[in-house]
Amino acid sequence: MERKGRLGFVPARYGDGVVGGAEAVLREMAHGLAQRGWEVDVLTTCARDHFTWENVFDPGVETVADGVTVRRFPTVISTARAERAQFNAAISAGAPLAMSEQERWMNDDLRLPEMFHYLLDHSDEYRALVFAPYLFWPAFACGQVAPDRTILMPCLHDEPEAYLDIFHPVFSGSRGLWFLSDPECDLARSIHPRLTDYEVIGSGLDVPAHYDPEGFRARHGIEGPFVMYAGRREGGKNWEAMLDAFARAVVNGGLPLSLVTMGHGEVVAPPEIADRVFDLGYVSEAERNDAYAAATAYIQPSAFESFSRTMMEAWLAGTMVIAAGASAVNRWHCDRSGAGLVYDDDDEFEECLRFISEAPDAAAGIAAAGRQYVLDHYTWPPVLDAVERSIDAWLPWS
Amino acid sequence: MRILMVSPYPPARDGLANYAVQEVKRLRADGHDVEVLSPGPSAAHHHLDLVGVRGALALARRVRGYDRIIVQYHPNVFFGDRPTPSERSRTYAALAVAFRAAHHVEVRVHEYPHAGAETRGEATAARQMWAAVDRISVHTERERGELATAFGIAPARISIEEHGANFEKRTNLDKVDARARLGLPADGFLFLAIGFVQPHKGFDRAVRAFSGLAEHGCRLEIVGSVRLDDTDYVAYVEDLRALVSATPGANLREEYVSDAEFDIWIVAADALVLPYRLIWSSGVCERAALYHRPVIASRIGGLADQGGAEMMLVDDDRELAIAMRSLAGLVDDVRITGNWPGADRTAVMDEIRLRASRRSPAGASMGGTQTVAPVRQTAPLRRLRPLTMPDARSARPGASAMKRVVRRLTAWQTDPIIKQVNQLQQAAIEAVADRPADPSVPASGPTAR
Repeated sequence: MERKGRLGFVPARYGDGVVGGAEAVLREMAHGLAQRGWEVDVLTTCARDHFTWENVFDPGVETVADGVTVRRFPTVISTARAERAQFNAAISAGAPLAMSEQERWMNDDLRLPEMFHYLLDHSDEYRALVFAPYLFWPAFACGQVAPDRTILMPCLHDEPEAYLDIFHPVFSGSRGLWFLSDPECDLARSIHPRLTDYEVIGSGLDVPAHYDPEGFRARHGIEGPFVMYAGRREGGKNWEAMLDAFARAVVNGGLPLSLVTMGHGEVVAPPEIADRVFDLGYVSEAERNDAYAAATAYIQPSAFESFSRTMMEAWLAGTMVIAAGASAVNRWHCDRSGAGLVYDDDDEFEECLRFISEAPDAAAGIAAAGRQYVLDHYTWPPVLDAVERSIDAWLPWS
Repeated sequence: MRILMVSPYPPARDGLANYAVQEVKRLRADGHDVEVLSPGPSAAHHHLDLVGVRGALALARRVRGYDRIIVQYHPNVFFGDRPTPSERSRTYAALAVAFRAAHHVEVRVHEYPHAGAETRGEATAARQMWAAVDRISVHTERERGELATAFGIAPARISIEEHGANFEKRTNLDKVDARARLGLPADGFLFLAIGFVQPHKGFDRAVRAFSGLAEHGCRLEIVGSVRLDDTDYVAYVEDLRALVSATPGANLREEYVSDAEFDIWIVAADALVLPYRLIWSSGVCERAALYHRPVIASRIGGLADQGGAEMMLVDDDRELAIAMRSLAGLVDDVRITGNWPGADRTAVMDEIRLRASRRSPAGASMGGTQTVAPVRQTAPLRRLRPLTMPDARSARPGASAMKRVVRRLTAWQTDPIIKQVNQLQQAAIEAVADRPADPSVPASGPTAR
């Protein structure tokens, strides 16, 4: 295919210290395509955190690895976001919102007027503009500036916001949609009666050359079996609920497990397990990979997943995954790979933990299939091939 | 030049925001430094509650730093809901202050109270505001006259800005692909009514006028979202749903469509039906014109003056029904009114031929897809009147009766011949129309003699 024309990738956040699956996928995809010879821009905010959206990176243009040009635009939050909080409560409760209320909900948050107008002026210079995730203002507002060349990677979860009418135009009017998994695609089709062109491209991962589990234990002074959670420690990921369930399971069930966690967000462990919870905060990718390899199992408590990179990372390290069945994506991966356990309530969660505690060899045997599952489906070369094919089909070079 | 645009703005989805962003894009492309101020948070650089005296005075403090202020004017932005005459008076006066504070103010009037001012005080204040504006523009000649009359403004001060001047296409699909994309049948005549579903859009009138057309293979698609925050609108939509469900071939799609999809719907349609009860100028008409789709619309507001779209204007529901039947090819008398080319004889002749072709079954390739070249090629054939039997009437006593008898006796021989001749004429017209035009013969050009 002809790798001609400039590609613009528009993650809500980009750069060191940014935690988030959608952002990671878009970053690696952008750099992967740049390595294949594409001219790539990243258009993003100056924010690192998706709660405060505080501008921590400098606005402007810089060239980073692989020749990727990064254009940063300042976020603007000009209100107290009180109205958004009210609407959030209504959305969570399933109360219907009028269209004007949905628009106010969207606009009472971070906004990017400078990015919007940059795209208004320059969108014609891009062959494709790739936005992710669907939920935030950058993809919603800026993704509608040049819909004929917009590809949305929604990273859709079965969350109340997904059902708001306000999102119909971006799912039906963009040039194309890239989904990360079949269940995500099924969900989108069930919500939006008329999707634009779409393709399930999956997501790729870089395969670590080696792991150092013993070094990880030594560096952090961690002994004995432990389970692990990496990512955003927040309610939306069921983090607190899982922490409570873990505490009940290990205390009441007498399980010899600790919990190692890393990522972004506050960790307030119940007092009875405070000495068993290790919060490492933000760590390097290499350190995180070593942690996966050292863990007895990885816990994925989130019900809102469109792909779950962390499950793949755990499987690559040969580690068992214990995942919440509330996410169709989690269940789909575990069923397809045969390398993960799924729980639907706290009792099942405790039994999963008991299994890996009492039968670690059997657990390791089950988990072994996970690495090949990831290698077969989710490495970057075939994903980037699919990405290039759909760009060529939807937006042929002229 | 440093310009401040005052307007509702995306991602809000309404006609004014859509209009404004297209003008901003054009101005920025022309090299101007354009910032936008919207009434609430949006993609605009600034936002400000513009309602009432407070809003107008806040605006006054913002305008001084710009060379040019462009206001996309709609009363709701500045006056809020149901203001009293005294509230309006004060707001007009405050807006006059704001406009005087600016170096240069242009007001694009999209809507205004057509009855003018209710009290003498309001009239005075309104005149002050309009006097403070350097350039007033509307979209149509009719709006110019009405605005001038309503507020005592000299018509010469009001210019006409084409509604679609900054509009750009948002899809490159053709009709076949557009229908496939929307999951619509490839065949059949498709009427489209699109926009926010509100009482004043009159989509219910389209449904009633459509009644009976489904049996001729026609469809009516009503596409648009409902603003649920207005109880009148909700009641209207419930009535519309019931009406649609009782009308075969009609379909109501309560969808919040993207800008691109809006255009895809237009491309998929053979004709748009816009039986507005109230409108001053229509962005939908302009978008239809971009894709050369004919529009049936009410003869209200400034629609008759809007350039671009091929319009069939109707005065009542009966005319609406006739117009829909006509465009669908069910009656021969299709009249498109207004919107003639300027003083260009060749263009006018082309237009005459094109419109005339649509009024006869021979030229009825619906939906504005007929081009001038085939119309010209088929003209000699179309000028031949269909063969009919000679008139049987006679002034001589008894001759008429005799002729009728002869006709009855010979009809079994003559009628098939007449039918065959007329079919040959029709086939010849179609064959010529389908033949590619001779590239050496210009479709438009100087006429001989």
